[in-house]
Amino acid sequence: MTEKEDKLNITVKSNNKDLYSFMKLVPTRKKRIEKASNAPITSDPINQLARKLHPERQHMVISEIRDETKTTKTFKLIPDPDSDTKELAYFRAGQYLSLKVVVDGVLITRPYSISSSPTDALNGFYEITIRKESHGFLTGHVWEHWKVGTKVESSGPEGFFYYEPIRDAGTIVAIGGGSGVTPFRSMAKAIINGTLDAKMVLLYGSSDEHDIIYYNEFKEIEEKYPDKIKVVFVLSCAEVTLKGCEKGLISTDIIKKYAEKDDNSFFICGPQVMYDFIDKELEKLDVPLKRIRKEAYGEIKDILKYPGFPQEVAGKTFKIKVKIGNISKEIPAIATESVLVALERANLAPPSKCRSGECGFCRSLLISGDVYISSKCDGRRAADNKFNFFHPCSSYPISNLEIDIPRDA
Amino acid sequence: MRTITILYLLKIQIMVSSIMGIEESYDVVVIGAGNGGLAATARLVLSGVKVLLIEQHNLPGGFASSFVRGRFEFETSLHELEGYGPANDPGSVRRLFEKRLNIDAEFLEVPEAYRVITKDIDAILPFGREAFINEVEKQVPGSKESVMNFFSLADDINAAFRYIGKSQGRPDQQELLKNHSNFLKTAAYSAQEVENALNIPKKAQDIINAYWCYIGLPMNRMNFTLYAAMASSYIDRGAYIPKLRSTEFTLALDKRIRELGGEILYNTRVEKILVENAKVLGVETSNGDKIKTKQVISNASQTLVYNKLIYPKSEVPEIAYKEVNSRIHGLSAFVVYLGLEKSAEELGINEYSYFIMDEMDTETLYHQWDSLGVPKGQATVCLNVANPSASPPGTSILYITTLFQPGAWKDVKPEDYVKVKNEIAKGLIVDFEKATGISVMDHIEEFEVATPQTFARYSRTYNGIIYGYEPESWDSLVPRLMMMNDHYYIEGLEFAGGFGRRAHGYSSAINDGELAALFVLNKLQVKIGVGVNK
Repeated sequence: MTEKEDKLNITVKSNNKDLYSFMKLVPTRKKRIEKASNAPITSDPINQLARKLHPERQHMVISEIRDETKTTKTFKLIPDPDSDTKELAYFRAGQYLSLKVVVDGVLITRPYSISSSPTDALNGFYEITIRKESHGFLTGHVWEHWKVGTKVESSGPEGFFYYEPIRDAGTIVAIGGGSGVTPFRSMAKAIINGTLDAKMVLLYGSSDEHDIIYYNEFKEIEEKYPDKIKVVFVLSCAEVTLKGCEKGLISTDIIKKYAEKDDNSFFICGPQVMYDFIDKELEKLDVPLKRIRKEAYGEIKDILKYPGFPQEVAGKTFKIKVKIGNISKEIPAIATESVLVALERANLAPPSKCRSGECGFCRSLLISGDVYISSKCDGRRAADNKFNFFHPCSSYPISNLEIDIPRDA
Repeated sequence: MRTITILYLLKIQIMVSSIMGIEESYDVVVIGAGNGGLAATARLVLSGVKVLLIEQHNLPGGFASSFVRGRFEFETSLHELEGYGPANDPGSVRRLFEKRLNIDAEFLEVPEAYRVITKDIDAILPFGREAFINEVEKQVPGSKESVMNFFSLADDINAAFRYIGKSQGRPDQQELLKNHSNFLKTAAYSAQEVENALNIPKKAQDIINAYWCYIGLPMNRMNFTLYAAMASSYIDRGAYIPKLRSTEFTLALDKRIRELGGEILYNTRVEKILVENAKVLGVETSNGDKIKTKQVISNASQTLVYNKLIYPKSEVPEIAYKEVNSRIHGLSAFVVYLGLEKSAEELGINEYSYFIMDEMDTETLYHQWDSLGVPKGQATVCLNVANPSASPPGTSILYITTLFQPGAWKDVKPEDYVKVKNEIAKGLIVDFEKATGISVMDHIEEFEVATPQTFARYSRTYNGIIYGYEPESWDSLVPRLMMMNDHYYIEGLEFAGGFGRRAHGYSSAINDGELAALFVLNKLQVKIGVGVNK
């Protein structure tokens, strides 16, 4: 037999039919196109739902302001009737909004946890609770300018600090420090209205009793839902007069005392010093990593204290050559401030949300120069690292830089 | 009020600077930096063409991407790259990436083809034609000859595709009849029809049909030539994955494009393709840029371009709507991403790729995706089996993929969304555990789910579709390629990507992107005399 004869010779139906079917392919396709409807497609329900879940921005107005403590206010936000925001996006208790505010002519963003419940969003409002910081760039502005009727722009709900039933244990051991308690108010509300199926033990650290936010509210919730919510106030001041409080810091002893069973997931939100402290305490308790959830670290304020930061650049100001599209501009940048802050001061900032190196919205290209990035806030992809992309919000200039940043959409 | 005024002024300032930031005129504007858009752009700048690539997201890749949760970095959508191949037998993608573009990306070989688990099959199939055929024979004694014939037919089909590709959609009928008769005689049939004609036993069909979900239409509707070309490419050349997830090769392409003088604009969405008298004039973006060009290559689908982007709408010819409406839009996906607190070895995950289907009745499986429920079919990958450094020591990454008709999700309310997706995710995890005996649920450190809404959120494809138009025989590669010159309704409008001539999948989109670039180069040479060699 020759090779030719040995070769497979396929027949699917019959030789003629098979060839005829082939000849008909193009005419069939032409006919199907000709016979199809000429109506444009106007609906896209999946994109519609995607935009509802994740709006690019939300325009709101302050409808109510409540004093929580001497230094803390809760702002109730409703859709701005003059805008195209007609409803507020649903969210998962623990998520934050990235506020977009102009302060002294500079456009900045700040992430704030939503302190109201997800169900409240369906009823048309969010609440955010803000503590005035002594040198806060935004909070000073808020205290001076935010009144009922002030317009506020934000992102959609963002972040991954939420209870995940498939992953997390039945009890949330919530460790909150100072204004870091705000997401736990949202979670507690979600638990008692039945949208979040878990129990919560809240260990809430404050410096003294006057600094406790939502004291009465938490007390009420605890009384009404003793099977679901337990709140322990932990005060670090020298003398504790408030009844039923723990004294000191949220240490292993306090954790062991209140988080009895093994079925716990630790949720931590507070100032950076608290994360560093709690990390060590949980290590002593041998808590596996899957049982520890931490809210984004936040912009590092005292970068000089972080291991590996070159102390000799402290106090230095570097130059950053910033490219956006084909224009470039040179701006100053202080070594102890993030590259994002330098860009904001120059009104050149790319979009940003988490300000903790996590969300990637400010992702930019480092063309030349060196930046310092703490391992606590390094959310870069491996390939970003390889090709020199970085997150300006969590990177500190330690030499002159040349960078290429994306435009704000 | 002061706030608003300043915001407004800032916006104006930003708008002015952005317009100044971009040159006004380009030889080609590419819309979208997905696989197709990246490949097209890279191929064009290689020939010295002045190109602007515009992408709405802040990084390239489209679905070819990755994301970080905790200490894990997940691959967004890729299971395994077809068409890459070993160094001594490079496939089309490797030839483009290595030889022509020389991009800086490392690829790793996937160790075995797949493990397929159904009610009555549990088999691990190796790569390499002979080993594969022998394993099928071991599972289904007496199947050998018919499966060999499947591959021999696949060879004929691949040879015919190469010929049609070279003929630029104008193959000579006599040449086809003389040298590619097996191709002609199967080109109009479904995979099921031809596999039956080859007398492949049902159980052996079930085993070799496992890749069907990569195209996502049942074997009685999937065109045979497409399936044979894909399956043979995987089995003969093996499969590869990028070491640092897909972001590695998309960023490598980004880098090469810029080195070759191409410009890329991220965070910018093309909102209009400006057309006058059936000719492209330029594009308009979400930032208000108006960019002149006579040539657009759209990585966005025909569905989006004709229904949303062409401006004014009166420039959309009736035939364009008909073309879109005649085609069957493909599926979207549902992916559960798991960062596990134990290594693959500790958990007993030995295979890279698992196809787990209740039974391999592809039509029944396909119709499960019409409604919300836990589909009894999944394709699951453990990255660490092929790439031990994919996650920190002592951990592993497992992701479970199934598909859905996007319409199944259309009535989900935002407040029910998490519950709905978690129920499906849980069911898929349980099904994986049952089929393999591997315990996963108790070891989840990071958990994320992507639904059709998620894919819509980031890509804005129509209805969050991740696949292109369904390649039934009448709309498979053969008629698409033979009719490709019929679809130029608007001068200067070319398409590239997963909705393109070669149907969907990473390598198809990449190849189609390169093809689109070659057509445009051909055109530009005539018109503006651009040199092709560099």
